[in-house]
Amino acid sequence: MSDLVKVTIDERTVEVPKGTGIVETALAAGIEIPVFCYEPRLGDPVGACRMCLVELEGVPKLQTGCTLLATDGMVVKTARTSAKAAAGQNGTLEFILVNHPLDCPVCDKGGECPLQDLTFRYGPGNTRMQYEKQTFEKPIPISPTISLDRERCILCYRCTRFSSDVSEDNQLVAANRGAASVITTFEDLPYTGAFTGNVTELCPVGALLPTQYRFEGRPWEIVDVPTVCGLCPVGCNVNVTVREAKVKRVQSRNHFEVDEGWICDKGRFGFTHLRAEDRLTAPRRHHHEISWDEAVAEAERLLAGARGRIVTALSGSETVEQAYALGKLLRAGLDSHQAMLPEEISGALDGFRLPLSAIRDADAVVVLGDVPVVERAPVVDLWIKSARRKGAKILDSVSAVGDAERVVLVGSGLSAAAVAGHAEKLGLSGREGCGAFHLPEAPNGRGVADAWAACCDDEGSEPESIGVLVVSGDEAAANPNVRALAEQAEATIVISMFELENWSPDLLLPGTSYLERDGTFVNLEGRLQRLRRTATPPCPDELEWIAELASRFDVDVAPYAAAVFAEVSEKVYGGLSFGEIGERAPLRGYPEATGAAVAAAPAEKEPQPGQGEVRLVAYKPLFSGAAVERVPELQFQRPQAEVELSAEDAGWRNIETGDMVTVGTNGAAITLPARVNRRLRKGVARVALEHANGLGGVVELSRATEEVSA
Amino acid sequence: MSTFYEDVQKIRARYPEGSRSASLEALRLAQVKHGYLSREAFEETADALDVTPAFCYSVATFYDMFHLEPVGTHTIEICTNLPCGLCGAQKVVEAFEEELGIKAGETTEDGNVTLRAVECLGGCGYATVVAVDHRYRQHVKPEDAAEIVGSLDA
Amino acid sequence: MPEAQITTLLGGTEDHDLTKFSEYQAIGGYGKGLERARAMSSDELIDELQKATLRGRGGAGFPMGRKASLIDRKSAKPKYLVVNADESEPGAFKDRQVMATVPHRLIEGCLIAAHAIESTDVFIYIRGEYLTEYEILAGAVEEARKAGLLGGVEITVHRGAGAYICGEETALLESLEGKRGQPRPRPPFPPIAGLYMAPTQINNVCTIATVPLILDMGAEAFAKTGVPSSPGTAIFSVSGNVVKPGNYELPLGTPMRELIFEHAGGIADGRELKCVIPGGSSVPALTPDQIDVPLDYDSLGAIGTFFGAASLIVVDDRCCMVQLALRSTKFYMHESCGKCTPCRVGTRWMVQILESIEAGTATRADLDLLENVGDNILGKVLCALGEFAVYPVDSYLRKWRKEFEAHVDGGGCPFHGESSLEGILAPSDMHHMHRLEVLV
Repeated sequence: MSDLVKVTIDERTVEVPKGTGIVETALAAGIEIPVFCYEPRLGDPVGACRMCLVELEGVPKLQTGCTLLATDGMVVKTARTSAKAAAGQNGTLEFILVNHPLDCPVCDKGGECPLQDLTFRYGPGNTRMQYEKQTFEKPIPISPTISLDRERCILCYRCTRFSSDVSEDNQLVAANRGAASVITTFEDLPYTGAFTGNVTELCPVGALLPTQYRFEGRPWEIVDVPTVCGLCPVGCNVNVTVREAKVKRVQSRNHFEVDEGWICDKGRFGFTHLRAEDRLTAPRRHHHEISWDEAVAEAERLLAGARGRIVTALSGSETVEQAYALGKLLRAGLDSHQAMLPEEISGALDGFRLPLSAIRDADAVVVLGDVPVVERAPVVDLWIKSARRKGAKILDSVSAVGDAERVVLVGSGLSAAAVAGHAEKLGLSGREGCGAFHLPEAPNGRGVADAWAACCDDEGSEPESIGVLVVSGDEAAANPNVRALAEQAEATIVISMFELENWSPDLLLPGTSYLERDGTFVNLEGRLQRLRRTATPPCPDELEWIAELASRFDVDVAPYAAAVFAEVSEKVYGGLSFGEIGERAPLRGYPEATGAAVAAAPAEKEPQPGQGEVRLVAYKPLFSGAAVERVPELQFQRPQAEVELSAEDAGWRNIETGDMVTVGTNGAAITLPARVNRRLRKGVARVALEHANGLGGVVELSRATEEVSA
Repeated sequence: MSTFYEDVQKIRARYPEGSRSASLEALRLAQVKHGYLSREAFEETADALDVTPAFCYSVATFYDMFHLEPVGTHTIEICTNLPCGLCGAQKVVEAFEEELGIKAGETTEDGNVTLRAVECLGGCGYATVVAVDHRYRQHVKPEDAAEIVGSLDA
Repeated sequence: MPEAQITTLLGGTEDHDLTKFSEYQAIGGYGKGLERARAMSSDELIDELQKATLRGRGGAGFPMGRKASLIDRKSAKPKYLVVNADESEPGAFKDRQVMATVPHRLIEGCLIAAHAIESTDVFIYIRGEYLTEYEILAGAVEEARKAGLLGGVEITVHRGAGAYICGEETALLESLEGKRGQPRPRPPFPPIAGLYMAPTQINNVCTIATVPLILDMGAEAFAKTGVPSSPGTAIFSVSGNVVKPGNYELPLGTPMRELIFEHAGGIADGRELKCVIPGGSSVPALTPDQIDVPLDYDSLGAIGTFFGAASLIVVDDRCCMVQLALRSTKFYMHESCGKCTPCRVGTRWMVQILESIEAGTATRADLDLLENVGDNILGKVLCALGEFAVYPVDSYLRKWRKEFEAHVDGGGCPFHGESSLEGILAPSDMHHMHRLEVLV
């Protein structure tokens, strides 16, 4: 690859590619250069904390290791072999600790704190500071999920750099100057955004901490379970902190191709839904709680009476194994093949697969569709931002691609087939660094669809009437179309984690969370990833009772995910074993890529808004859904009831942010405050689904008249 | 009459597209318009610059010439750095404090005058330097305080 | 015909109002020198500037022509010339006079220097407090534009907003980009990646305003003025306890004693000279027996101090050195940008120790601590500001040690309230200027 250079660090010589950072070079030589502010994922080094001072041969002043790049013949001495560097480092650490409260015994970071660790390894044993330390009001909630202790803060600026240079929300900032510098938000408003929680992991001291974890555990009392997040189709790799069988915290587990170590606040802070007050633990027949034995018997009775007439509504949040087991029971055992998912699942993009990290290296990224990427697949938004910072063009139309070499399409709000059509036309197939993604709504739609298809070879016809409607999961149960179908069914069986609103089906079975399941998910890249059970559910796991129920219909379903997976894998994943999936799963070609066989789909013709009209995009917000609704500390993140308008659409109507506007068609209308978004395309308006009142598509838009707003 | 938004766009046009170079000048305009950098001033500036209010706040708090609290109609700023200090700047500060009946860092009750001690104004050879509404008065002596205060409109 | 050749920066101001375009042109401004420069190629012009061996007047004394030669002129990005007019060093007020009296000489210098590095974009970053000077300079740029003299070069006068650190070149670039003025680590150096990450040359006002003289006189003639290692004149700002404080333009190499005792009229009020801080408040101070030194970069360097901003603060025997150290350190603490640890934390710690010494509550061990805290700042900081806080204090501590010891041994200030800096207020004493309650 690039030129290798020889660098000598503390008399050890290593070869590294030219331009490698000296911190990394030292690591290659087995030598630690301590750092606080240095974090390559935040962009160029800033040289602020001065902890990494080293002696560079030929240069009189100490240099910061973080800002030095390896050149051939470079000779570096760290504090291990240079008295000068050691003195510099000691001095720096003393400064860092001068105003620190030294309150490790009551600090949540204690035991997993870089400042504590480095002080033990390098620090002076005592302090010469005898004057008044800087004191601050503490801790300050900078949001309902994050607290800030300014006395512990060492001003490494990792958090503010994350806010300005990674999430680009520019909300967490440094204020004042010099010794008066503090980290703050504007006017003490809560730090709001999809990714705020990452600052709690970046903080190298106990300054920014998750409020949910306050006084909840010590490093020697906890276990981190590696799994993947199941709340959106990205499938970020996470570590789940468990203490005494309870989930206490979710942190990132850097998968450099999927998430680069960033996770969204829904994935991080949403876990307390596990302990929601309305969590179901016992089965019910109508309103009455029954035992599991009774429940399985009741299910057997209902299903047996509806052979061939059972329809299944899936959520797309089931594991591959659950979907396969349920499918095998209903299809092989009960000859009922019809299932529905919340959205169309397609293999149209299999020929354009790429790891998400390829977005960062693209020359042009085309975001197709008007659903905000961050609301659907949050981390993808970070990859796109990262691409823009590296100089990529971010476009909203394929026509502007020009002669860009590496082109990546991201479809957010249009079908996979439509995205594939564009990808075909641009000839992206097989081109280095080119590819396309479709951002689905469901976290594991693809895995569920493939498993359902694989579990039985027979095919059935659509039943004339629905004997039993099986509703799998909270998302399906909340879907109005599914509710409508339940009206037509003779009986309904619902699997749900939480109480249902205004609905008591014939049989209600408690469900589990992705954090309680063993199994696999397929993310939007087509990457098969492993879920691990991090906590024991308050009810039997779905596989357990499905296996029991299946045995009653002479269908062989194993109650263990590994065994079910082995069966699915034979058919779909080339015989890969459960163990081979891996801790950080690679992007494999399963199932066989079929992109070439997919005909170029014509671009969807959307109705164009006319004079006085806009196209209203009613999007499902990131902070919505059954889990988020049950986490009180995430409620501040939910979208405002407002309509976003482009500056052009607002301008000629004389609408300003805060004015009431009416959008609607054929008598159905909503009146909400407007927010002018200068980045929105002309002719498009956006509203969160929960405030859309069923509206969408081309609508009329006008300033609200007095009567309407009254 | 151009709007604040339009004025800021004109400033932005002097610098490369996408840069934030207009921020100091925009904040200065907002300060003139609002009297000081209030929450509304930050929000208006942020909108015009296409940045967040937090960014504007962060920038403004770095620079001494931005006021984050209401200030008087007039400002009297006395250099108390070494060269002026060696020539009796503290006596000048005290003369103004007495004349105005406030301490340095405060604003008169009627909101007319804010008195501040400031760092070197770059008039060291002409001590003591006092910036009255940003215009330098040089060689100021304690006995000049009454005349200077008297010259300000109420 | 123009009058006699002008060879000084402030030349012509005695008889003319050179803020006026017509008068500047009448004495030969925007004339021969500019024509000569524009007739040269970029390489030839850089050669000419290198031959002049003009050293930067901003403080570091780096040769201006060399600086121009480092610009990555092959870069596809625009090249920028940035003039550092953020004069904020206590004791310095010469750039202000240049901008107020010979703005066109600075503009002409910009045009020549921009031509040398193939730049069409010049930014003059002027400190926000210099409002009158900003108006004069901006007006002069407008005049030059109307006269069609800019030749496709855009000169933008950009106002700062009150931050000493913005005189540091990378902090200045950050501020010019509209951000908090915090210095950047180097590399990358500005000639490769400066303003907007494009090749950028940054020079002080006096440096650029000297350029037209070089082109008028010819580099070889210019190089023969002053002393060989530091050709040309410098404007020396003299302040403090002298009879006639002010700016004096003299050849480099003029003896310091001559400047203080002849040009500036000696010590005022019949007092004794105690100390001279020769380069602005950030450099090591000299004792009265050290002032027989030529005022140039190398001579001052040889006696352990710096030419700096060519700004002499003269201190008489009424001043308590602890108070001098304390007021000086409060300034640097107030101006520390807060980015790197040693400067942000160390300057505040130094202020606390000095306050304790002045109050008489410190011990002799605290004098060593003060020295050691300074040592832990020197050479470990991101930019020079932290060192600027330490250099003078360190020199006071070493050269006037007895006075420091008298404070700790005697339990208070030996001046008993009679020091010229007694009770001097600093902006950092006014806590409530910050919206957030911070105990500094």
